[in-house]
Amino acid sequence: MSGAPASRTTSRTAYAIAALVLLALLAAPRVGISNNAIRLLLTTFLWVTTSLAWNLLGGVTGQVSFGFAVFYGLGAYTAGLSINGGVNPYAAIAAGGAVAAFGSLLIGIPTFRLRGPYFAIASIGVNEAVRIVMSNLEITGGASGLRLLQTGLFSQAEHYYAALGSAALAFLVSWRVMRSPFGLALRAIREDQDAAADVGVHPYRCKLAVHALAACLTGIAGGVFVYYSAYIHPDGVFAFATSTSILLMPVIGGLGTLAGPIVGAAVYSIVQEEMVVNFPQFHLLLYGALLILIMLFEPGGLAGLWRRLARGLRGRNAGGPGEGIAARQQPAGGGS
Amino acid sequence: MGLNDLLNLFVAAILLAGIYTAMSIGMTVIYGVMKMVNLAHAGFMMLGAYFALEVSQRLPIDPLVASVLAVPVFFLLGIATHRSMVRFVPVSDEPTLPSLLLLFGLWLVLQNVGYSVWGADDRSIFSALTMATFQFEGIVVPVIRLVVFGIAVLSLVALHLSLHHTWFGRSVRALTQNREAGQLAGIDTGRTAMLTFGLGIAFTGLAGALLANLYSFTPDFGGSFMLRSFVITVLGGLESFSGVAIGAVIVALIETFSILVVPASYQHAISFILLVVVLLVLPGGIEGLLQRWRRLR
Amino acid sequence: MTDLLRVEGLTRHFGGLAAVVHLRFLVKEGEIFGIIGPNGAGKTTAFSMIAGSLVPTAGSIRFRGREIAGWPSQRVVHLGICRTHQIPRPFTGMTVYENVEVGMRFGGRRTPPRGSIADEIERILELTGLSGSAATSAGSLPTGNRKRLELARALATDPVVLLCDEICGGLNPTETADILALLRRLRDSGITILYIEHDMRAVMRTCDRIMVLNYGEKLAEGTPEEIQDDEGVIEAYLGRRSWMGRKEEIEEQP
Repeated sequence: MSGAPASRTTSRTAYAIAALVLLALLAAPRVGISNNAIRLLLTTFLWVTTSLAWNLLGGVTGQVSFGFAVFYGLGAYTAGLSINGGVNPYAAIAAGGAVAAFGSLLIGIPTFRLRGPYFAIASIGVNEAVRIVMSNLEITGGASGLRLLQTGLFSQAEHYYAALGSAALAFLVSWRVMRSPFGLALRAIREDQDAAADVGVHPYRCKLAVHALAACLTGIAGGVFVYYSAYIHPDGVFAFATSTSILLMPVIGGLGTLAGPIVGAAVYSIVQEEMVVNFPQFHLLLYGALLILIMLFEPGGLAGLWRRLARGLRGRNAGGPGEGIAARQQPAGGGS
Repeated sequence: MGLNDLLNLFVAAILLAGIYTAMSIGMTVIYGVMKMVNLAHAGFMMLGAYFALEVSQRLPIDPLVASVLAVPVFFLLGIATHRSMVRFVPVSDEPTLPSLLLLFGLWLVLQNVGYSVWGADDRSIFSALTMATFQFEGIVVPVIRLVVFGIAVLSLVALHLSLHHTWFGRSVRALTQNREAGQLAGIDTGRTAMLTFGLGIAFTGLAGALLANLYSFTPDFGGSFMLRSFVITVLGGLESFSGVAIGAVIVALIETFSILVVPASYQHAISFILLVVVLLVLPGGIEGLLQRWRRLR
Repeated sequence: MTDLLRVEGLTRHFGGLAAVVHLRFLVKEGEIFGIIGPNGAGKTTAFSMIAGSLVPTAGSIRFRGREIAGWPSQRVVHLGICRTHQIPRPFTGMTVYENVEVGMRFGGRRTPPRGSIADEIERILELTGLSGSAATSAGSLPTGNRKRLELARALATDPVVLLCDEICGGLNPTETADILALLRRLRDSGITILYIEHDMRAVMRTCDRIMVLNYGEKLAEGTPEEIQDDEGVIEAYLGRRSWMGRKEEIEEQP
């Protein structure tokens, strides 16, 4: 377990609250909450999954992907096709995760070697390329999309628990990674990749690994989604807006933290519900403005604001652990 | 498919390469000096297109002249953008997360402001030249493409002159090669960055305005062109100005001649697929290939 | 003493600039090997090539007979060669403890830690004078402590060869003496040290052998006494009159 004594951000109260929340969530379908609320929670769980996943790559390791929807879509289509082919739904969802992870390697292997913006640019290009290809591919339904062959009854509770399960998985994976030596290496890569290599970290391998992990989780979310909605199409699951949403949530909540992506996903879901109803045009504009404001004023998102507040109340302290996005220093160059 | 037709396509490609170079050089110059990927490139191209539209419709000004007017306007716009937001994000020798997200956010804002103000309908610019063609030895060239090419080339010549004969140009070239050495040598990086950003946006706006004379457009307009700019700059080696021209020629040729082999539904995807192929197969660009592979492992 | 590090024909060009030219030297196991020279002489560039941060344009670097020129830094570190940076590069968003922990966990330790990892990190922090700052954010450290952190982080990788790049920069005389004493203790415990330094007194007192670089080339190599008496070195680097005076000063030191 890594971390000096001061690195612990969880306390007994936090654990207790988390446990209570979890119990409440588990009980929800049985307690007679409206179907609409269940649907909202379900969607939120899927967003929590993708949010935590993107955070592992972007927040902890500092690699920005603008096209994460490609993994969501790959997972959804893989699972959808598998289910239609008679495969057990949960095996199909797992397969979705695996295919997404494999896809991540295809992007990561050439681009993570290189200095510069290649990964970020590639993520945009690959996302769009896959979307267009899938829109034209007849085997998978083309632009009309993929429909699941319905068998059996629809149980909203089952899908609810599947989504909760994927969110819980993402949480557990994130928690373990962030507390592990691997997580330490990832943060070192984010801080200063060269200095990390200078003390023995393998940046290339680590980036490939975390990218695959994040892609897998996102693919699983996609698989759960297709199983639930029984219909997907390229302009939905591979949409640029989907990629934007995926990255926005952890940024709002607080990159690099564990609670941040969860809070960000929850906030986003609720706001999205309201906005789509009342202001259908404006959401992308709002997201863009939000990104700008966050980057200029509080790159640490809501978690950063919280830390500032806490520090202000506590009085001046000798710095805290993990400042979210740390402003990068100018790296050392040649000297003597 | 006769030789004549092929020649026509070739000329069309070269003319396209001219405007593509002007379009991409804005991105290159910003990346070279500031190590930022201008993801808002698409948004500014869109603004350039609508600028040409509005100016030529509301004032008795020819759209091509309006396009040239875009240069000073967008230069100032670029400087304003830099001063109001871009200069506050941390920079490094690689694009930083805040810079990427900031410019991405700006792209979203610009594009959706575009939708709000101008709606999603296709718009076009017509002028006296739109339909005119110029014939030479069996090669038919739309005059407007010739004029657009001419303006693009003139702007590039102006850029080349300023890069080699002004203090600003020297600063840009120095910082592009080695930021730290440039700072130690006393170059005012803040001022150079501001002017560079202005310059980059000026070219971007000009390109958008010129392209609006050639194609119909919606607020979405910049997206596919930005992808092309990515491909071109990556092919050219990210920081090389002459490389951009080479990359532009390659991309223009591929696009123009792909009509012969690629089915219509995939036409739109050419730029994306090209980007993917270039990044996955030849990411260091033609110029940087060897260097970049050896330095990292 | 055996040859630990053998460098031959080491060359590095930056475009038209030749930063290091046909460098040839030998480092024996268990010695403190100093590298001195004016600014721009190529000292850090040479370090960077040995440590794997830079790929040589030409030449050979042999560690225990094994060719490592062009190897990336993480492989070189795992082999046992670790560097500090002239301008410190701490992981600013992490604590001092975590900074050292990265080195400890990923440096390819050759000996198992005595006690737990936490104990070992504490030991290294104490050794480098950072005990009280374990929980401090590395970004808030003053320069002197950043230099110590560089050293601590490098030591955590359990190096066979330690490359110290101006480790005393920004330290007052007492702190400098402490660091130099530490280097000597490290050498006595079996670590070979390559040491770039500007402080002449420190170099002459601490190093077993010294190499002088100028314009990327080796000007002289030998014991401190040999270097001090070398005419070429005195002319090019030390300056005759001022040097003669300082030489007496140094010889008077305990």
